[in-house]
Amino acid sequence: MAGHLVGLKLALLRNGLRRSNWPQQVGLALGALAGLPLAFGGFLLLALVPRAEPAAGLILVEAVFLLVFCGWGLFPLLSFAGDASLDPSRLALLPLRPGQLVAGLSLAACVGVAPLCTLVALGGAVVGFATLGPGMVLVVAAVLVQFALCIVGSRALLTALSHQLRSRRARDLVIVLVSVIALGFNLALQVGARLAERLERSDLEALRPLARALGWLPPGLAARALVNGGQGRLLAATAELAGATLAVVLLGWWWWRSLDRVLTTAEPAARRRARQPAGLFPRPLRRLLPADHRGAVAAKELRYLARHPRLRVGWVISCLLGLGLVAFVAVTDGLQHPWIVLAAQTMAFLAAQNSLNQFGFDGPAYWTQVVAGADPRGDLTGRNLASMLTGTVATAALALVLAAVTGGWLYVPVALCLGVGVLALSLGVADVVSVRFAYPLPDDASNLWAVQGTGQGCLVGVVQMVAFAAQGVLLLPVLALVAVGLVLWPPALVLACPAAVVYGAWLWRVGLGLGAAWLTGHQPELLTALSSRRAA
Amino acid sequence: MRGLRKAFGAKVAVAGIDLDIPHGCFFGLVGPNGAGKTTTLGMVTGLLRPDAGLVLIDGVQVWRDPVAAKRRIGVLPEDLRLFDRLTGAELLTYNGLLRGIPAPVVETRASELLAVLGLADAAGTLVVDYSHGMRKKIALASALLHAPRVLFLDEPFEAIDPVSARTIRGLLERYTAGGATVVFSSHVMELVERLCDRVGIMHLGRLIAEGPTDQVRAGRSLEDAFVELVGASHAGAEELGWLGTWSA
Repeated sequence: MAGHLVGLKLALLRNGLRRSNWPQQVGLALGALAGLPLAFGGFLLLALVPRAEPAAGLILVEAVFLLVFCGWGLFPLLSFAGDASLDPSRLALLPLRPGQLVAGLSLAACVGVAPLCTLVALGGAVVGFATLGPGMVLVVAAVLVQFALCIVGSRALLTALSHQLRSRRARDLVIVLVSVIALGFNLALQVGARLAERLERSDLEALRPLARALGWLPPGLAARALVNGGQGRLLAATAELAGATLAVVLLGWWWWRSLDRVLTTAEPAARRRARQPAGLFPRPLRRLLPADHRGAVAAKELRYLARHPRLRVGWVISCLLGLGLVAFVAVTDGLQHPWIVLAAQTMAFLAAQNSLNQFGFDGPAYWTQVVAGADPRGDLTGRNLASMLTGTVATAALALVLAAVTGGWLYVPVALCLGVGVLALSLGVADVVSVRFAYPLPDDASNLWAVQGTGQGCLVGVVQMVAFAAQGVLLLPVLALVAVGLVLWPPALVLACPAAVVYGAWLWRVGLGLGAAWLTGHQPELLTALSSRRAA
Repeated sequence: MRGLRKAFGAKVAVAGIDLDIPHGCFFGLVGPNGAGKTTTLGMVTGLLRPDAGLVLIDGVQVWRDPVAAKRRIGVLPEDLRLFDRLTGAELLTYNGLLRGIPAPVVETRASELLAVLGLADAAGTLVVDYSHGMRKKIALASALLHAPRVLFLDEPFEAIDPVSARTIRGLLERYTAGGATVVFSSHVMELVERLCDRVGIMHLGRLIAEGPTDQVRAGRSLEDAFVELVGASHAGAEELGWLGTWSA
């Protein structure tokens, strides 16, 4: 049975590669390549540092073991929906006992890129700590027990949560968490590298009480067994190893019980959280949006912005970029000029970039618009209205925060007018691009990196770059006026306010007219472009 | 429709169809998978541009004056891709406003439709959390919201529970009794036989039989007539002889 399950895992890996198109294969290859430096980096860290800095040995091993253990707990939860081999309920119809499954799935879990990288990294500890003699057996055993802790702990947690992980709400949450964790991980690496440079021996001493406390956790016990075994304290090492092994057994028992429950309990009906029927229009905007098809489209776009995980992620990233700008200005003394408030219009520019494929999230559901015979001009206007509202709010917020940092309150109205002009102008360009070069965005909320196999990724990239450049060129007159105002003649800034708004509005009307004129006769073609599946 | 034709590359999905459907008729379009039913309905409803041919609905040419034609029709497509991050009630409001119905009228009609189709309790639930049957019902409600003269339904009874199916049947029968026309595709022959005045059988992109249901049946059950016309093959029983030997 174990052999069959290992075979299944290998077949899934192989078919995953065969089914994916070349960008996904490149992604998988890059993922594997990213795993290699981590594996060999971990190996070198554990192999070399304890020899060079014996005092740091235990803390280092404890930290690495704990991190690896947490990583094994967390990452499968995040990739649950994308990895068929992780879901035990797929085996529920086979006549298998939980004991057989635990054995088989444990072995299958040892197959793959992640287990291989983990073993290579942990293998460094054997090189770093082992000395010839009976201690060596304990060092190797400690590494294997740590590996077993990762595998069994990860599967036990996953199986216990598998019902919850299959829910739509959990999958939505995972998408947001993955992106925030990826950004957080990047930030933690930067901060960690800076801190490591400043680390002194005395700081290590300060960490010792923490290390002592963490040493009682199962990975900590394995780490202590490894260090003690390497230093010849065999009795202590054996006791600690027994403790870590007991943890593996307990986790295995939890896994076995969870499997038994998952395989024999009916899936609970999805709990539907009924919202208070509040109407399509968000309450604060009820008076602001027109009560017709334009308002309906704008309200739908705003509802999607609040409810679709991918759109939420887009907003989280935009806000972080804005915050990054503020942080940069705050910490850079040379940039604390009041006129920096005008940089808030970058937010308007960035916000409008999301509109270059305004119909992408509609996908095949765009048939609703087509069959309703809705006026294409009204449809585009509604979408622009939503982008305008969110873009203006984000720009205003950034301008206010920058003004608070630099004291440039006088520049806030100018920044707002420029922001509105930039948004309008960019939306004009986006209206033409998004009807002529539409492509469907993946609706699969389970995988953040899912790409639609449209085979036009290159064309999309070129079109977006051209649109970006066109927006930049059209912006030049406004930027020139601002530059004149800042450098030569300050009243030009006052002049720039109405000029930017009027110029932006004019270009928006031109873009809207061109986009709507094309769309009027080509709604079925746009629907075909947005539908990945052809009718048969 | 006259000479309706559509090809995807080298594959001809619909190879020239001529068909008249009278007012107030309950018309069933049947055919095996891949016969071209969905493609035909797509071209008739203005969702898929035909390579050739003419479609007239209530005297309006669909591809010459699509807006006027779409005002007259309601559509329930097969693959049910909806704006599913809206709640059921929000989706109906959205559809109503798109069609230019005043907001208070949309609200009244939407709550009536939700009640009749048994979705009142789920009005505030996101459509993404609906079951397949509920999605069918909310899509049907969207198609009925503007009281169209002609309703095109692609597999409307698939994955619908018997109680809801009876409600929908009653609703559609009342609707055609009022002079409206319903065109629907289905694989369930008993249902087509029971509901439809007229029936069309499609095979390999062609309409191979069409007329009043009794005439097409010609004394047999519709299923027998269908299988005979389409020429289905019989699975050989001898190959699966092991099915009678139990494993445990």
